[in-house]
Amino acid sequence: MQKNVRLSPADWILWGLTSVAIAVALYAAFLYAPTERTMGDIQRIFYFHVASAWIGFLAFFVVFVASIAYLATKAIKWDILAASSAEIGVVFSTLVLLTGPLWARPVWNTYWTWDPRLTSFLILWLIYIAYLMLRAYAGEEEKSARFAAVFGIIGFLDVPIVYASIRLWRTLHPKPVIAGGGSSGLAPQMLTSLFIALGAFLVLYIALLRLRIRLEKVNRAVRQLHLEINR
Amino acid sequence: MSHLGFLFTAYLLIWIALAIYMLSIFRRQSRLEAELQSLQNLLQERRGPEQA
Amino acid sequence: MSYFAGIAAVYWKDVLLEFRTRQSLSTMFTFCLTIVIIFNFVFEPGSPAVLEVSPGVLWAAFTFSGLLGISRSFSFEIDRGGLQGLLLCPVERSTIYFGKVLGNATFMLLIEAVTFPIFVVFYNLPPNMNLLGLVLVFVLGTLGFVAVGTLLSAISANTKAREVLLPVLLFPVAVPVLVATVKSTGPLLRGEDLAQVASWVKLLLAFDLLFLAASSLTFEFIVEE
Repeated sequence: MQKNVRLSPADWILWGLTSVAIAVALYAAFLYAPTERTMGDIQRIFYFHVASAWIGFLAFFVVFVASIAYLATKAIKWDILAASSAEIGVVFSTLVLLTGPLWARPVWNTYWTWDPRLTSFLILWLIYIAYLMLRAYAGEEEKSARFAAVFGIIGFLDVPIVYASIRLWRTLHPKPVIAGGGSSGLAPQMLTSLFIALGAFLVLYIALLRLRIRLEKVNRAVRQLHLEINR
Repeated sequence: MSHLGFLFTAYLLIWIALAIYMLSIFRRQSRLEAELQSLQNLLQERRGPEQA
Repeated sequence: MSYFAGIAAVYWKDVLLEFRTRQSLSTMFTFCLTIVIIFNFVFEPGSPAVLEVSPGVLWAAFTFSGLLGISRSFSFEIDRGGLQGLLLCPVERSTIYFGKVLGNATFMLLIEAVTFPIFVVFYNLPPNMNLLGLVLVFVLGTLGFVAVGTLLSAISANTKAREVLLPVLLFPVAVPVLVATVKSTGPLLRGEDLAQVASWVKLLLAFDLLFLAASSLTFEFIVEE
């Protein structure tokens, strides 16, 4: 609605906080956390990799809740929230898919393995790519909101079943791809570092969400004006 | 046993991807705001005279 | 009209229409057969790998051809204004959904029943299969695929992209059905006991129930005017 692209004071504070939090999280990941004994320094990918995954899940959970809220109330703010959170969720899960192979290659000696978590995360990513495509092609605003909400609910309900099915598939046909489990209990400093990274990305998520919501509002205002002009 | 290249690449990718995303938000924002402005002007001009 | 009579009415309308025109069924069947034949070129004839991959080929053929029928089930209604008529009926909206699900499942199962014997001949499968188990898995798998597919077809038929969008929406969501059916069809084709694939059957059942329930609840939001 506003004319300039400038950030509001609240946004400046939020982005300042984000920068500080990320700096602290980087310090924790590289200097505070001890070097993992078997994997070495490469394990330091873990902190931001896992934080991205959790924030991705959070973003999709927000889509799910906002979708239900939209269908229940038909208030546009829920649709705006769902659309914004879905896109950011796709960004964070793309980060997971980018960093995962770079961690897997030195440790497991392969960029990709069809293990339950990797595979179901890939499917999850596909579902939300489809969600964004549905939004892009749905047409009228109100219709698009309803359709996206239904898909946002169905897609999220599917996630645990996808995970269950892929896990069942891999346990029935075990393949010795991964040599030695890395999850032999985390050192307390590692856990702390993970939570710091998680906190930093949570603040980043909120800051991005505010920007994206603002963008979505202008987007809708423009579409509204187009409708008025073409009438 | 360090593989620092992979570690470096992974973190580089994270920040590049996030920077690209933020840039895309800002670009879309300024494009849409310019469009909004011109549409509002158009609508203002049209109040009164017939369609162009 | 009672709830079940409403479902039956929608179902019979679709089935009658299809048996008069046979438009969907004939294209579905031809496409299904084509996929089976095309996949045949991928493997060395008579190689032992055939038994290993045949469940995947079978379900690729079933779901891809099923997609044709599912994607038409709402678009043809919209093109002819039939959906408006259906929505005017004094029945609950979800009866339309269940009627369509049953119709689509019937068509897909018909195609499967015709294609499967041909497939067995083409791929030289040994005859000692567990036929009863296969029927159960085919029915549950088809029902799950159609349960989500019908809902998403109502969505995609109402968008600009139409048929192009449906596979992109449907296949990622249907992954559990695909994995479960493929993985349980394999052992059953080798004649193993149903108990061997019990966990897959349970998974299919859970998927079917969850998505029939969720879809029937959300369907009214798709067709509301």
